Amino acid sequence: MSRIGVFVCHCGENISRTVDVEQVAKAAGEIPGVAFSCDYKYMCSDPGQTLLKKAVAEHKLDGVLVAACSPRMHEKTFRKAAEAAGLNPYLCEMANIREHCSWVHEDRDMATAKAKDIVKLMVERVRKGKSLAPITVPVTKRALVIGGGIAGIQAALDIADAGHKVVLVEREPSIGGHMAQLSETFPTLDCSQCIMTPKMVDVANHPNITLFTYSEIEKVDGYIGNFQVTVKHKARSVDESKCTGCGICMTKCPKKKIPNEFDQGHGMRPAIYVPFPQAVPNTPVIDRENCTMFQSGKCGVCAKVCGPGAVDYEQQDTFTVEDVGAIVVATGFKLYTIDRKPEGSPIQGYGEFGYGTIPDIIDGMTFERLASASGPTGGKILRPSDGKEPKQVVFIQCVGSRAREKGISYCSKVCCMYTAKHTMLYHHKVHDGQAYVFFMDARTPGKGYDEFWRRAVEEEEAVYIRGMVSRMYQRGDKIVVMGSDIQVGVQVEIEADLVVLATAVQPQDGADLLAQKLGISYDKYNFYSEAHAKLKPVECATAGIYLAGACQGPKDIPDTVSQASAAAAKVMTLFAKDKLERDPVVAKVNEKYCVGCFACKKVCAYGAIEEKEIRDRQGNLVKKVAYVNPGVCGGCGTCQATCPSKSIELDGYTDEQIMAMIEAL
Amino acid sequence: MNAKANKNHVTSIEPAYYQAITEAIRKEAAKILKDETVVGVVGYLPGRRKGTASPALVTTVEEAEKLIFSPACVNNLSVYLTKAKKGVLKQGKVGIVAKGCDMRALAGLMTESQLQREDLFIIGVVCPGVYGFGVERTGTLTDANIARKCRECTVHMPEGADVAAGTHTELADLTPEEAQELARIEAMPQAERWAFWKEHFSRCIRCMACRQVCPFCYCEQCLCDKNRPQAVENSPRPAGNMAWHLVRAMHLAGRCGGCAECERVCPMDIPLNLLNRRMAQELKELYDFEAGLTPVDKGPLNEYKENDDQSFIK
Repeated sequence: MSRIGVFVCHCGENISRTVDVEQVAKAAGEIPGVAFSCDYKYMCSDPGQTLLKKAVAEHKLDGVLVAACSPRMHEKTFRKAAEAAGLNPYLCEMANIREHCSWVHEDRDMATAKAKDIVKLMVERVRKGKSLAPITVPVTKRALVIGGGIAGIQAALDIADAGHKVVLVEREPSIGGHMAQLSETFPTLDCSQCIMTPKMVDVANHPNITLFTYSEIEKVDGYIGNFQVTVKHKARSVDESKCTGCGICMTKCPKKKIPNEFDQGHGMRPAIYVPFPQAVPNTPVIDRENCTMFQSGKCGVCAKVCGPGAVDYEQQDTFTVEDVGAIVVATGFKLYTIDRKPEGSPIQGYGEFGYGTIPDIIDGMTFERLASASGPTGGKILRPSDGKEPKQVVFIQCVGSRAREKGISYCSKVCCMYTAKHTMLYHHKVHDGQAYVFFMDARTPGKGYDEFWRRAVEEEEAVYIRGMVSRMYQRGDKIVVMGSDIQVGVQVEIEADLVVLATAVQPQDGADLLAQKLGISYDKYNFYSEAHAKLKPVECATAGIYLAGACQGPKDIPDTVSQASAAAAKVMTLFAKDKLERDPVVAKVNEKYCVGCFACKKVCAYGAIEEKEIRDRQGNLVKKVAYVNPGVCGGCGTCQATCPSKSIELDGYTDEQIMAMIEAL
Repeated sequence: MNAKANKNHVTSIEPAYYQAITEAIRKEAAKILKDETVVGVVGYLPGRRKGTASPALVTTVEEAEKLIFSPACVNNLSVYLTKAKKGVLKQGKVGIVAKGCDMRALAGLMTESQLQREDLFIIGVVCPGVYGFGVERTGTLTDANIARKCRECTVHMPEGADVAAGTHTELADLTPEEAQELARIEAMPQAERWAFWKEHFSRCIRCMACRQVCPFCYCEQCLCDKNRPQAVENSPRPAGNMAWHLVRAMHLAGRCGGCAECERVCPMDIPLNLLNRRMAQELKELYDFEAGLTPVDKGPLNEYKENDDQSFIK
């Protein structure tokens, strides 16, 4: 006969508000095999845990059930307490009467009845539970960072400085990301490139960092401490080991009129190019879609002029497999394309704004390039249509963001600040110009942020109009901006020379596909989900994968850098130990009954199942059966559900336990 | 090209046609036994009563000369490779006589790592049909005595066999009785359909013949025989019967090749193949998959694809 202890938690009032916890404890005490039951206000608190430990000793308990919150929240806490009391930690289970009961029900009587049922069936699970020993697996002390923007760079540098090897993978031909495109940064107005490029060079020179640019993640296998990541190195058409970065190929390339992505399409570049002069690595790539050699087979100028013979038209995509122990995802953001409804997206466009049809309506990033000394205008604010200096500029905030009816309900966080910065940059460069800003509210939480915004309004003469714009159209060489000023309650019409839209921050294209490869979760906008909004903002729910920067949600540079360093710290914590202890909730094969159909192997998402030969003493093959590598098994239970003869059991979730739970109901 | 136009439609199939297949099988079996390509051939020998046939494993050229093929050769012989004569595969390569429907079972078993193609020499039979049950089982095969599954056969040609015995012939204008019955049941209101199956399953005596004859029920320990924990009650009572038949149908989804042996051997005349076909229909509609046409790496139920139908999630 078992001696189980049931500990029912009030969770302050979170549970006791809707569930009569005393009754639940009393009912639990009447279940055969339950030797002790009680309730307490905060079971997870120190006195609560002491209560549990004491009860284990006093009542000689051989199993513990804590009826409280989700096991994701406190299972570890209580298992530790049970272990301290001398029990095997896996004989301690949690009945979730908070998320699964009190939080989702209103009727007190029914919620109490349900809580009793949950406790009753979990008691059965404890009763059929087995002692388990943790599994230790080695840790590969080498990290992968995906994305070479400021987030990825910071994370890579921090991990590398701690003495661990880092592989940094960037999709574009150069690292740097969006920060390299910015002109000056708020709230100090220091030059973005001036603070960014030294870090980029540090990455390139760091002995612990292997940099793969123009590369993508193809496949991710393995698990925390032991990932095998296949990296696809896209064909650069230039041999990195031979190229000296002299740049003669770019000057000689006859095809020079290709819109430059780095300048948001407002500058031109040749078909063989580096995205910007400070690119790291300073090795060009050939844009095969625009290269005459690739399109018609005739040209070959770059190969002819290249001294070291680095140009290689035959180069193919290559693949390498990188063994890493941890992954930092830092894939960043893109700006909302607002002219049309993206295909298959729930997000509406802003056709009424004429973006994409009126050339002088641009987005914030384009303005950054116009204001940048390295930009297409050399840092002069000149409008795209006729190259004239605009004398009236209208900035519109919250384009796409905070617009539920358009499909995005979140705040993009950086636009208030960068628009204030834009008005300043404009004022500094065009002294007789006037900036207008249409805004909903100015959100300036951050050190020195409100002061910065006030400076824009009070000292730099930006006119802030609270209200939104309904429509814009071209009249002559002016853009008529029709909006409202809700503070005065009048309609406003401004004839602008240039309009800058602060468009919403969105996750990068393909963020969802990468998440599927990594096995991490993402929200409806494709932002990656952290494990806990407050207490685990850097970790993913998938162990060993961490988040940094705007891929998790809109962020400015200081927040991004902080999170990147935090992710690096998490990686270092993981790398501090040689062996990693893993939950022993893994599948086991009953070799006697396994018939080797290997359906389990086919469905295993972790690649944990191998074929094992059973031989008799003479060495003759008796049969082949499935074998689960406990180090690799993720404990998801798919194999258990698939096995036609039920020859696989998941420890902690055995058929016997599950059936007993069902029968208890 | 119209495939139908090429078919050789007749109103009856004379014993002479089967005799020709018999000759071909004997010749092939003798040859592969003689040159030691195989250690044995699983085929059919004449039964004790006239006009019957029984499965057999022959290992000598003399025995091979006695092999037959007739409309009485109803059995799916693939079951002998995974169950009854499992040991023979350890001795070496084995020859097997296979009709189109048996071929689908063989392909399925290869998919599930139970058989290796290189371990088999498959003598495919271009089978025009076999006898049904509860009918006159001698002489000419006609509309009156052909098996239900053969009325709608789509696999007359044994694709993927090493050699084929026979020429292409099939009966013309057969009513698809099983498909009609399936449509009739499908059209019933749910309660009526439930009652239909409940009535059938209530008669089940749990003799497990359906399991024993099924090439895909190759588990050494059936989960329905387990008692710790017991998932399916194993005495012949309505609840356990229902559970057993549902488990059986579900486990065959995406695997069953439609040999209908389960239905043939059922002493209580439960129309089991209707269930099998219903599951197959589901797989066809959802995943455009037909089991056993060729060995595959993974069946659709063992695989996740982004474009999988998810309309069932409500």
